[in-house]
This record gives sequence, structure tokens and C-alpha cells, in this order.
Amino acid sequence: MKLKHILYAGALMLAGTSAAAAACENTVAAKSLTNAFPAYVIMTDVMKSCGNFEPELDKDHRLKLQDAFSTNPSLYTIAGVANATSVPLFEQELVRPLDDLIAEHGQGLSENQFIRVDGKVMAIAALFNTQHLMYREDILNDLGIAVPTTWDEVFDAAEKIKAAGVVDYPLGGYYKSGWNLGFVFINHYLGEGGSFLDENNMPALDKDKAKAVMERLKKASSYMDPEYLVSDTTFVTKQLQQGKIAMANLWASRAGAVNDPAESSVAGKIKMASGLMGSEQPASTVWWDGWVVAKNIPDEEAEAGFKLIVAAMDPEVISANNDAAVWLAKGFTPGPAAAGAAATAQAGAPAYPASKAMAVMHTALGDGLSAYMTGDKDADTTLADIEAAYLTAAKEAGLVQ
Amino acid sequence: MRFKTFLAFVGPSLFLMLIFIAAPLVTVFWNSFHITQPVYERVEVETCTPGFLAPTCTTSVVQQPQLDDEGKVITETTFVGLESYRNVLEPDRFFRAVENWDWNTVNNIRFWKALRFTLVFTLLTMPMVVGVGLLIAIVVNGTVQSIKGPVIFISLLPFIITPVIGALAIRWLFIGDGILTQAMEGWLQRDIALFAQGWTIEILMYVYRVWHVAPFAFVVFYAGLQTVNQDTLESAIIDGASRFQRLRYVIIPHLMPLIVFVMLIHLMDAYRVFEEVIGFSSQAHVISLQWLTYDFLMPDEAGTRAISRASASAMLTMVGIIVLLVIPLRRAWRDQRGTAK
Amino acid sequence: MSVPKSLRPPLRLKVLSNGFLTLWCIIAAFPIVWITIMSFKTPFDAFSANPLNVILGPDTLNKVDGLSLAEIAVGIALAWLLVLTARNWLPRQVVHYTPPGMIGFGWLVAALVFGIVTLILYMSVLPGVMGFVNPLLGPLGHDVLGLTTEHYQAVWVDRNFTRNFGNSMLVTAGVVAISLTIGTLAGYGLARSGTDLAFWLLIIALIFRALPHSVLVAGYLPVFIKSSEILRPIMGDAAPTLYGQPWAVIVVLVSINQPFTIWMLRSFFHNIPAELDEAARVDGCSHFQAFRRVIMPVMWPGVITAGLFSFLLAYNDFLVTSLLLDGQNMTMVPAIAGMFNRETTASDEVQAIAAAVSITAPLFVLVLVFQRQIVSGLTAGAVKG
Repeated sequence: MKLKHILYAGALMLAGTSAAAAACENTVAAKSLTNAFPAYVIMTDVMKSCGNFEPELDKDHRLKLQDAFSTNPSLYTIAGVANATSVPLFEQELVRPLDDLIAEHGQGLSENQFIRVDGKVMAIAALFNTQHLMYREDILNDLGIAVPTTWDEVFDAAEKIKAAGVVDYPLGGYYKSGWNLGFVFINHYLGEGGSFLDENNMPALDKDKAKAVMERLKKASSYMDPEYLVSDTTFVTKQLQQGKIAMANLWASRAGAVNDPAESSVAGKIKMASGLMGSEQPASTVWWDGWVVAKNIPDEEAEAGFKLIVAAMDPEVISANNDAAVWLAKGFTPGPAAAGAAATAQAGAPAYPASKAMAVMHTALGDGLSAYMTGDKDADTTLADIEAAYLTAAKEAGLVQ
Repeated sequence: MRFKTFLAFVGPSLFLMLIFIAAPLVTVFWNSFHITQPVYERVEVETCTPGFLAPTCTTSVVQQPQLDDEGKVITETTFVGLESYRNVLEPDRFFRAVENWDWNTVNNIRFWKALRFTLVFTLLTMPMVVGVGLLIAIVVNGTVQSIKGPVIFISLLPFIITPVIGALAIRWLFIGDGILTQAMEGWLQRDIALFAQGWTIEILMYVYRVWHVAPFAFVVFYAGLQTVNQDTLESAIIDGASRFQRLRYVIIPHLMPLIVFVMLIHLMDAYRVFEEVIGFSSQAHVISLQWLTYDFLMPDEAGTRAISRASASAMLTMVGIIVLLVIPLRRAWRDQRGTAK
Repeated sequence: MSVPKSLRPPLRLKVLSNGFLTLWCIIAAFPIVWITIMSFKTPFDAFSANPLNVILGPDTLNKVDGLSLAEIAVGIALAWLLVLTARNWLPRQVVHYTPPGMIGFGWLVAALVFGIVTLILYMSVLPGVMGFVNPLLGPLGHDVLGLTTEHYQAVWVDRNFTRNFGNSMLVTAGVVAISLTIGTLAGYGLARSGTDLAFWLLIIALIFRALPHSVLVAGYLPVFIKSSEILRPIMGDAAPTLYGQPWAVIVVLVSINQPFTIWMLRSFFHNIPAELDEAARVDGCSHFQAFRRVIMPVMWPGVITAGLFSFLLAYNDFLVTSLLLDGQNMTMVPAIAGMFNRETTASDEVQAIAAAVSITAPLFVLVLVFQRQIVSGLTAGAVKG
């Protein structure tokens, strides 16, 4: 028992200790504001080991991002942002172009990490994220089901799994009302080749495609735990870990956790496959997460911040934490956990269409669709209401006249 | 007491309330009649984002806020009258639905949905809290001295526990195949999903609130029971009053001011119901007025907030609570007149 | 206390009321007890579908550690002893050793010491002693119940939760102290002034009390973040950034809490006969002197009750602290909520549960120690509306 104890503790410690290996030294006080998922914990831990650095990890970081960077001096030196959260920072020019700093300190970075706006590098991406199929290899093999590649095949498979009764629910889905539900719709709808807005930011949902997607969402939900409207990514991850579901189209960043023997009762049985195809392209979107440097700070502080960013993405750090994320930085070797993400990207999944107007549309979709899912509204009314809600909000924000 | 002395006593408290409650309230009021938006221009931008192996670049025309010389966003503020209120209340749709007796449509307009729930929540939990609190107080008061202490201690737990934590604890017990859901499934021999439909979530919210607040009502009533006049009680017994009659004619009237007090506090707290919506993530089915305001205020991913609609919804919420408070306030006013004379 | 025969309840009523009490106690305690049990298990057991697995923790026993029957017995006995101490011995000591007028402070120290002693007993003394005794006991010494404190270690040591604890204590102490000081003055002023102005102030305070907090708090955020820029024309370079400052949060919480505090204390002072301070005034005291000499000595029951409510508000607050504090100064409640809300793994969740139980523990001790004060404070008139 003692030995087991030690082994177990050792396994737990591993994730924490392997990060703080990078050699760096920071002399200028710096602060960061980022999201709070494991990849950021790893990177900020490295930065902390350089000294004079205070990270703030907050999943609600977007609440203060804009205000904190627009004040002078900026409250934070650097921030971790993603496709959508970077929009206000870029358009209000609250972050600085990094070309000079890259020339001076950024030799270790690769071209694929640079987010360019009009040719200038405004952010350094650290990791790549998308959504793809995770399935129980044993169940699919036992029932003789081929790995699904489209949603129709998923439904066929789900039907067979349901009939066999080997799990509680064949499918899992992060359909939590709000951002998640809106996001699921956006993915499916993009997979059908739909567009959301015209060039004047007026809503331009393709009704037929949207209705087809909504029907598909409803059909998918019939194979899920009936509490799907409160289930978020963590909940679906847990369902997979506890062997309650057989398939889920889930964020690539969760691929490591579902096969983690410390938490999963079905560790090793879950395999990754490409994101499911819509009729035109994969019904998944590509995301990046990365770093920006504030504009309203002295140049020397900016330089210190940039050096910290480079240190956090040192190849040694990345390879020591290889499976914690699909890294874009050098030192990453795609393992089995990243197979699904790679396949999805190769199949041509589009980038999430981040913009101010799209964010408003996303909110309108996320709030509006739950009434359809609960059966309170029919598809036509739901879509009309979503467009009306979008227009009201976009007018208030000044995005449409 | 002279005015100056009075001011010296009340001053610090008043000052804080003015700065941190009254002043924000004034800005909320002002915002509800105005809209502030950035001035946008259309620009063509080329953006390159990382792919799995190589970056992809796209060129598109986007709307961007104009910046002034100092790099601040240029904004325009316009007076819009009642438009934000209209956007929140959606009166056209509401009245059309009411004319057609179309309850479903009314319940699909967010504000009215929130109002419906908030009022039902407030008015339904109030008698439950008072009733359960009173029952526990009377039973505890009548029990053996030696177990009073532990019982009071256990009874107070739901009240002192951090609300966010309490709501989460309840959620763990019920969500998915939570332990209590399973117990119910075993008992009723059927599959139960409490978070799958509105009415079960709503019942869970009522139960949680009563569980959380009844202990407060209980201590207040229990404290009140300690001061019941024993002589009155004894003479009631001599007069042959039954147990129920003693409760009805001696104890309840004695506790009446406390019952009013608990009801008033509960009215105000229940009307602000918010933690339950967050804790049970019930927004697909059930939303409350405070949650609606909160939802308007939260920026979306690109940092846009619906400040004006949030302000309008906040003002409407406040009007609502003033309406609800009118009856108790009139009573207070009469009392005040009474004592002043 | 002898009860007249006619007041004694009939048997049926007795059974009924005892049954009701038992049921209520189970309902009241169950969620808390259950999450406490979960916090001592591996994620596997904690989220197991079988309640027996959650209680007995076979996976935990297998992978980590467990308790023997003897340890359980000793643990329960110790708990009972501690409860008895807190309820009987401790109050006497506090009354005995604290100078009059400082009673509130005395209680605070006592509660703190008591909490620490409990922690030491369970975390180090008990395991130490039993580790020695267990092998001697034969079957009684075998581990039967899976139990692990690793989540608590992870929370308090690895995640540096002590800092959050310190911040919580700072904010709570600040709120209680300031809130009571200015609330007592205002409550007294309002109770002794029969003017319409006082009445209208109270009514406005009541409406403030009813306001949804998110309305106010969301308004603070941009102002707090940009305060150094806004205040610079007035204060020069000394202009502070209010965002992330515990003292700024203290002031906000005090303000939000003022309406309730002044209402409560006003009712309390209302029940102290005005003749008391009027007599002092006749003797030539000013209002402040009368307040200090006559009222202060008799006001403690009410103030302690009001203080408890302030304590609960500040300690439990989520909305204000989560929005206005940064990571370095985060208090415990938003820190725990943060553990749940990010991309969590199952062991993160059990850690968060352990943290949730940890922050409930001080409240536990608080009620244990202050229980009599709560009831007597309320009886003394603080709630007579």
C-alpha cells in the first residue's frame, strides 16, 4: 500500500514539477491576465520561475481585458487571448506590434505562431484547438461499427449503441444554454457552408440550412442525457471518463484528460478521430490561444514581457508538457491525443469567424436556441426571434444603422 | 436631537451609501435613456491566423471603431427616450400575445419570463419559509432542553453556508446521476432527469431557497418564543384553550411583528434571486430579473455590453420592488405617524 | 425547569414532533455532510454512482490510504469532546479572561484558537498516535474506510489557498469592524431622532437594501480599473488603482451592507429606553458622551448579532469580490468558484470540494461558539421590527 501511495503521489506531482525547468531571469516587474486552463497554468508557472512576475488566471478574464488594457498605464503587461477575445484589443490598438521584439528575441518562434493584422505581428499563438470526435474504441469494435465521419453516420452508430444498451447514452454534447449551445450551432452551420451576416452586418441566416442544422441538433440531443441543456465541456468529459457515453464531438484540449488513468475508468479505450464532416466542410472550427503585449506600458516592460512569453514557449517546456495541449510552439511532437486535431485541420476546418458583430450573433444564437431545444418555439419563430434579438443588440452597439 | 448632532451620527454611513449606492443608481438611470456607441469606420484588413501546420491569411472588410489622436475610441452618446425600455419590455409583442391569450408567447419574451419566475418564486417561497421556520421553532421550543443546543446548531448550518457553495452542493446531489437523483430513481422505479425540464429545476430552486432561508426564520421565531408571556399562556390553559388555540391566539399574535420582519426581509432577498440561476445553470428554462440585468451587462467575447438595456432592466427591477414594498412601507409610515404624535 | 402537567404534550404529538425534528436535521445537514465525505475520496469514489462507494471509498483505500475502525471510534469520541468543550468550557473561560467591553474580541480569539487546536488534533496528533497504536490492535487496526487528505494538501499547500484565506480574513475583519462602527452610530442617531428626515432615510435605505447587487457592482468595475486615470487630475501621481485593492472592496461591502446594519441596530437601540441616555444628558453629557457612557455598555448583544450578519455577508460574498479583486488578492469564495468554472478535471473538482468544505469549517466554529449569542441577541430585541 505504501508503494502505491508513493507512485500515485508521484504521478500527481509530475504535471507540476516538469514545467519549471527553463533558464530565464526577469528583472522588470510584469503581470499577466489569462484564461485559466492547464496550458496557461504551465506557461505562467514557467514565467513565475523567472522572477518578478505575477500571473492572474481567470476564466472570466474577458470581463476586464478591455478596460485593463485601455487604462494608462495598462494594468497588465501581457495577456493570453484567443480568436474572439483578441478582437477588441486589436481594433482599439491596445496591444503593440511585436515585429521588432521578434527580430531581437524571438528566434525560437515559428512563423505559424504569428497572428498578423495588415502584415504586422500582433499576437504570438501558443496552442491550437478545435473540436473532433472522441469515441470508445472497444464499444465500436464490439458492435462492428466503423468510425463515423459524418453526423448521419454518428446517428446510425448511436442507434446501434442504444439498441445494444452498453452505455447510458450513446452521445455526449456540450449543449449548455448560452455560449456553448450557440457555438455548437455555429460549427454545424459553417459545416453546411452557411453565412451569418452580410457585408452591412445585417443578419443573413440561410433559413433552410439553419433549420436543417437545428433539426440535427435536436436529433443528436435525443441520444444524449436529457439534461443536455446544462451540460458543458467538463460535464461531457466526465461522462466519457465514467463510461456513460460512447461518443462525443469534443474540444481537442480535453483529449488528454479522457484517457488520464487517475480520473478515467475507461482510460486507454478512447480514441480520437477527425471532426465530423458537414455537407461542405468539417463542422468544427479552428481556434488559437496566444499572447499579446500591452501598448500603454514603457518599452522596457514590454521587452521583459515579451522575453517571458518566449521563455514560456521554450521547446524544453513544450516537450515536457507535450500532451497538455496541441502546441504550436517548437518542441511539440503530435501524439495520439493530437491525432483528432490534426485530422480535423487537414480536412479543412475553417477558423472561427471572430468579429464584433459575430460575437453579438453568437450571443443571440446561444440565448435564442434553447427555446427551440425545449420545444417552446418552432424553428421559424426561433430564427426570426434570433435575428430580431441580434438586430436590437447590434443597433445598441452601433454595429448596424 | 439637533440636526447637526444627528448628521454627525448618521454622516459616515450616509456618505458611503451616497457614493456607492446612490451615485451608481443615478448613472444607471441616466444610461437607461441614452445610448453610447463607438463611431465605426469600414476598413479592409488582412489577418493571418495559425493553422495546424501553416498560417492561413484572409482579407476582409470589417467595421472598426475610429480612434482619436490619443488612441481613445471616439464615442457618440444619444438620447433615445424610452427605446431601451421598449427593447426590454417588447410591448407590441406582449400586448398582441395578451390579446390572444397566448401565454406561451408571453413566456417566451425574456423580461416577462423573468418577471413571472421572480414573482412566483418570491410569493411561493415566502409562506413556505415562514411556515417551515415557525414549525421548527415551535417544535424545538417544545423539545427537551438537552437536545436544543445541537438541534439549533444543525438547523443553522444551511443558513450560514456560503450560498454559492450551497447551490453547488445541491447541484452535485441532483445533476446527472447525482446521488439523490439515483435514490429517487430507485424509489420511484423510473428514470429521472431533474435538470431536463423547467418545472423540476424550478421546484429544486424553491426547495433550495427554503432550505437556505428557513433556518433564519427559525432563529428569529425561536428568539421570539423565548419572550412569550408565560402568564398569558397559563391563563389561556386555565380558560381551556386547546393547543391549537393557544398557538393561534397567543403565540402567533405575539410573533406577528417578527413574522412581518421575516416576510419583509424574504421579500427583498427572494426578489433578487440570482445565485440559484447561476448555480443550477437554469438559464435555458428559468431566468430571474436580476439575472437578466446581469446577462445584459456581461460583455460578449468581443467585449460588447448592452449597457442601456441593462440599465433599463435594472430600473424596471427597482420599480418592481418599490411596488412590492408599498404595502409594508405604508404600514411603516402609519407607525411613524403614530409614534411621532 | 418544571413544566405543568397540562403543558406536557401528548405522546402522539411528541412522536410526531421528534420525527419532524429528526427529518429536518437530516435535511439540513445532509448536503454538507455529503460534500465533506466526498472531499476525502479520490475522484473515482467521490463521483461514484453507488453511495456506498462514496462512503466507504474502495478506490481510495486501494490507491491511497484509509482509516481503521479504531481510528474512526477515537475520531468520533474526540469530536464529541470538542463540541462539549466549545459549548460549555470555552464560554466560561472567555467570560472569565476577557476584560468587560472587550467581549467580542475575546470571542474572536477564542474561536480562532479553538479552530486551530481542532485542526492540529485531527491533522497531526491523531494520525501520529494512531499510526503507532494501529498495528497493536489486530483486526480493529485494519484499514476499512478509504480516506485521503491529499485534496486538502493540494488546496492548501500546492494551490496556496492560505493566501486566499488571509485575504478573506482581512476583508471580513475590515468589513465587520467598519460596518459596525459607522452602523452603530447611524443606528443610534436614527433611533433617537423622530424626525421625518430620519424616517425617509430609513425608507431609502430599505429600497437600497432591496436593490439587485449586480446592477451596482457591474457599474463599479470600469471605474475601479481606470480609477488612477480618473483621479489623477485631483490627486496627482498618488492616484490609486482601486481595482484589486482589498480595502476598496471592504468599503464597497460596507456600503452595500449598511442599509441592513442600520435597520437592525436602529431597532435594537429603539428598544433601549430613551430615558437611559436622557438621564445622562440631564447630568450634562453631550449626545456622544451619553452614547459612549450609557449606551455602549448595554449595546453588545445587538452589536454582536449585527456583527455576525456582517461577517456572513463579507465572508460569503461572491459577486463583489470576484469582480473587483485580482488574482493576488482573491478571497476564498471566488477562488473556489474559479476552480469549478475553468476547464476542470475531476481531481480539480474534488479539490474544489475540499476547498469548499475548508471554507465552511470556520463558519462551523463560529456558530458553535456564538450560537447562544445569536439567539440571545435576537431575543434582546434586535429583530423586533
